[in-house]
Amino acid sequence: MRTLLTLSWRNIWRHPARSGVLLAAIIAGLWAGVVTVGLVNGLMQQRIDYLIEGEITHAQIHHPEFLAEGYSWLYIPDHAAIVDWLENDQRVVSFTSRTITDGMLQSPVKTAGVRVRGIDLPSETRTTNFHENLVAGAYLGSDVRNAVVIGERLASEHNMELGNRIVLTFEDVDNELTSAAFNIVGLFRSASVDYDERNVFVRADELNALLSEAPVHHEIGIMLTDETLAGEVADALNTAFPDIRAQTWRQLSPELSMIVELGGVMVVLITLIIMLALAFGILNTMLMALFERMREIGMLLSIGMSRRRVFGMIMLEASMLTMAGAAAGMALATLSINYFSARGLNLEMFAEGAAQLGWDHVIYPALSALEYITILAVVVIITMLASLYPAFKGIRINPLDAARDA
Amino acid sequence: MTIVRTEKLSKVYNADTVPVHALNNVCIEIDEGEFTALRGPSGSGKTTLLNMIGGLDKPTEGKVFINGEEISKMKDSQRIDFRLRNIGFVFQHYNLIPVFTAAENVAFIMMLQGRDKREIQERTNKLLDQVGLGDRKDARPAQLSGGQQQRVAVARALASEPRFILADEPTANLDTKAAMNLLDIMEKMNREQSITFVFSTHDQRVIDRARRVITMVDGAIDQDEIQDPDNTQAG
Ligand SMILES: Nc1ncnc2c1ncn2[C@@H]1O[C@H](COP(=O)(O)OP(=O)(O)OP(=O)(O)O)[C@@H](O)[C@H]1O
Ligand SMILES: [Mg+2]
Repeated sequence: MRTLLTLSWRNIWRHPARSGVLLAAIIAGLWAGVVTVGLVNGLMQQRIDYLIEGEITHAQIHHPEFLAEGYSWLYIPDHAAIVDWLENDQRVVSFTSRTITDGMLQSPVKTAGVRVRGIDLPSETRTTNFHENLVAGAYLGSDVRNAVVIGERLASEHNMELGNRIVLTFEDVDNELTSAAFNIVGLFRSASVDYDERNVFVRADELNALLSEAPVHHEIGIMLTDETLAGEVADALNTAFPDIRAQTWRQLSPELSMIVELGGVMVVLITLIIMLALAFGILNTMLMALFERMREIGMLLSIGMSRRRVFGMIMLEASMLTMAGAAAGMALATLSINYFSARGLNLEMFAEGAAQLGWDHVIYPALSALEYITILAVVVIITMLASLYPAFKGIRINPLDAARDA
Repeated sequence: MTIVRTEKLSKVYNADTVPVHALNNVCIEIDEGEFTALRGPSGSGKTTLLNMIGGLDKPTEGKVFINGEEISKMKDSQRIDFRLRNIGFVFQHYNLIPVFTAAENVAFIMMLQGRDKREIQERTNKLLDQVGLGDRKDARPAQLSGGQQQRVAVARALASEPRFILADEPTANLDTKAAMNLLDIMEKMNREQSITFVFSTHDQRVIDRARRVITMVDGAIDQDEIQDPDNTQAG
C-alpha cells in the first residue's frame, strides 16, 4: 500500500506542469464556487436585511383586506388588545403602528398617486431604520405643522424643494374626500427609486386628525429576536385575533421570496457550470496521463500487477491531486471570504444599474459551514467521478501493449 | 521435470477480416533448467509463442500447461496472479517503472507478491549485486544505460522466484558488449541456480550461447536442436 502511494505520488510529479494545471483548476474551481456562493448569499442577505430593517420588519399586522384595497376605513380592529399582546410577548423586540392611506399628491406642476404613511416617530425609529435614508432637511421630529417627508426623486419630478407645500387628498374613514396642505421638511432616498416615487411620510397623529375621530391604525410592523420566529409569531397572532391578518416578511414581500429562491437557483447553476468545467479538465488531464502510460501499465499487468491495483493506482493519483487541491482551494476561499466579509467587496462599476433596483454595491459575502462543506464535497465527488472513467479505461489495457514494439 | 508443455497450439489474428495464422499446431516441451533460444525470421511467430507460454494472450486453439496447470483456460484475473507467482518477464523495452529506482523496481514485484519487508530488502540488494548493479541501486531507469536497464529487468524477473523466465529479444536494443554481459549474467544464473530461461532473438552471437535452439518458420517449429554452447563459441 505504501509502495502504491509512493508510485502514485511520483507519477503525479512526472509532469509537474500538467499536474500543476490540474491542481490549479481544482483550486480555482473550489475558490470560484465558494466565492460565488458567498457573494450571492451576501447580496441576498443584504437585500433582505435592508428591506426588513428599512420598512417591512419581520412580521406585519393588517386588516385582512387592507393590503389589497388601501382604503383608510380598513383599519386594524382591536388595536389596543393587539398592542397589549405584543408588549407581553418575549419574542417581540419592538413594534410600531402606522396609519396609512392611498391618496393624491398635488403640486403646482402635476398630480401623482402616492401612499401616505403616517408614522409614530419614537416607535418607528426604534423598530426600523428608515430615518437613515434622509438626505436633506429634517425628519418628522421638526415642529413644523403638517410636516411631510418625500422622496428626493419625487421632489425633483415636481420641481419642489424643502419648505414648499404640497396638497394631499384622500378619503377618510367615513368615505369623505379630505384634503390638507403639508410642508416638505425633508427628502429621503431609499435604495429603490420606485419606492421613493410612491411613498410620502407624515406624522400619524396629524394624519389621524384628518382621517377619523378616534385614532386608527392600518399596519403594525414587528421586529423579533430572530427572523426565523416570524412564522410562529404570525400564527399565534392570527389565532389570538381572528379579525386581523398577521404575515411574515416572506409573505409580505414577494420580491424577497423571489430573491431567496432565485439566489438558490443561481447558486446551483453557477456551481454546476464551474463543476462541469472542472470535471472536463480533470477527465482530459487524466486521460492524457493514461494514454501516455499505456505501455507501462501493460508492462505492470504483464508482470502480475492486478487490475484492481492498477485501478487503485490511478484513483490514488486523482485522489491525492484532489485532496491537495481541495485543501489549498478551501484555504484560499476561506481567506477571501473572511477578507471580503470584513471589508466588503465594492462592485461600484456595476452599481449604477443596481442602485436603480435598490441593490447595494458593496457586498459582504457570507457562507455557512454547511455550504462550505457542500461545495467541498461536490468538488471532491466531481473529481473522483471524473477520474473513474480514465481508471476504468486503465484497467482494460491489454498487457500485450507492453511487449509490442514502439 | 517439464515446466512448459503446449498441445497443438494455434493462434489466428484478425479471424474475421484478413486472418493471420501466427501459430500452427505448435507442440513443445520445456524442462526445468533449460537455456533455450527461439529463433526464426521476422513474423515467424516467436513473440506470439512466448505470449502464449507466458499467459499474456489466449490461443485460438490448443492448450498451454505450466507445471501441469492449464493456463490457457484461466480467467484474466487468474492469469495475472499466475504470472505474478510463476513467470518472470524481460521485455525488449519499457521494462521498468520510470519513477522508481532500480531497487524499487526490483522490490515492487515482491511487494505485489505480498512478501515480508525485510526479505524484500535483502533479496533486492542481493539480486542487484548479482547483476552487477550494487552501486546503482538508487538510480532511476533514465539514469541507466540500456544494458543496465535490462539487467535490472532480469533482477526483477528473478525476484519473484518464478518457475521460468521469458525474454522476448532482450538484447535487441543493446550493443555487443552489453548484450554479451547480459547473456553472461543469465547464463550464470542458469548454471548456478538452475533458473530456466526461454528467449527469442535474431542475434547469432546470442543463439550461439543457448543450449537448445528452436527455429520457427511460418508459425511452426522447423528445427529443435541441442547444441554445446562452449563448442559453438569456440568454433
Ligand atoms: N496483434 C496482432 N494482430 C494481428 N497480427 C499480428 C498481431 N501480432 C502478430 N501478428 C502477426 O502474426 C505473425 C507472427 O508475429 P510475431 O510477432 O509472433 O512474429 P515474430 O517472430 O516475433 O517476429 P519478429 O522477429 O519481427 O519479432 C506476423 O505475421 C504478425 O504480423
Ligand atoms: Mg517478435
